[in-house]
Amino acid sequence: MVTRKALISATLVAALGVILVLGYLAGRTFREPARAISIAGMTVLEPASPLPEFRLHDQNNQVFDLTRLQGKWSFVFFGYTHCPDICPTTLVVMRDVQKIAGGREQGIQYIFVSVDPDRDNAATLGRYLPYFHPEFIGATGGHGELMRLTRALGAYYESGEARGGSYEVHHSAAIFLIDPEARLRALFAGPHDAARLAQGLQRLKGG
Amino acid sequence: MVQYKRFSVGVMLMMTCLLAVADSNILVRDAWVREAPPGAAVLAAYFTLENTGTKEDKLVAVRGPDFAKIEIHATEIRDGVARMIALDALPISPHALVKLAPGGYHLMLHHPRRELAAGMSVKLELRFDSGAQLTVVAPVRRAESGAAHHH
Repeated sequence: MVTRKALISATLVAALGVILVLGYLAGRTFREPARAISIAGMTVLEPASPLPEFRLHDQNNQVFDLTRLQGKWSFVFFGYTHCPDICPTTLVVMRDVQKIAGGREQGIQYIFVSVDPDRDNAATLGRYLPYFHPEFIGATGGHGELMRLTRALGAYYESGEARGGSYEVHHSAAIFLIDPEARLRALFAGPHDAARLAQGLQRLKGG
Repeated sequence: MVQYKRFSVGVMLMMTCLLAVADSNILVRDAWVREAPPGAAVLAAYFTLENTGTKEDKLVAVRGPDFAKIEIHATEIRDGVARMIALDALPISPHALVKLAPGGYHLMLHHPRRELAAGMSVKLELRFDSGAQLTVVAPVRRAESGAAHHH
């Protein structure tokens, strides 16, 4: 009889233990993923978010895919060349970040992804980007591939209505920072400031 | 008599034109065109409008011999998304300044008729709701970062 009582209480204790552990784990899984910390216009993803496979082409008609993001830090901005104001303004900021933080030799690359593949191709990007910096990479591809990348980064683009033979493309104003393991590590909301971008990178590289 | 009337109407019309110019309370300052990469289909122009008068005026149209079309635009960033909005008119309140600057209001200059590079300049003809017309000569400049603009 005593043993039976002991068995019942042991079972109860065990059940309670299981419930506690499950509860703890559930709480953890709800709290843990994609914690985002925002400091001074920079949102850091904790943990960094891995990117899916995608396939674009750069201004030299070379494949630009996930492997091109591995082994270096990348600043990525989405825009289009028929954009006279915010895109060149942002590219000038990126040029200044390059001056402060460095480029290829320091393992940092700067990527302009055109979300207007109907008007921008390798040749267009090849004329456009060297004006800002000879090292800058321009890439674009089909809407399916572009969407794969933008969706993974939480970026957005959409072509506006045609008006007088032309159209605008609405696009994220943010600059995205990808780590050497090709994971989204941080994003900068803008208005962009070169010193802040360079500091943000420095902080993440250091720790 | 008829001829005299015609003549006076003519004089009056001429006077109105002169008045429109003389009466323009709008000043345009610091106009410049952002140099674009070679072959770019669009450029942007910026300047500051000042209304020294007591009545609101509006910039309603801009033309220029170097471009196929010029539009008044605003870059608007909402929920992290940058959009260009074409404006029918840009109001300038009495005694107010309206700044066209990178990341905000700008003129969108479509399809330059010649390759424009820093050191060149373009003519912009601004038309206002009041009837005033101003011609501005805007130098083409290479844009530096935000801080460098003010030098």
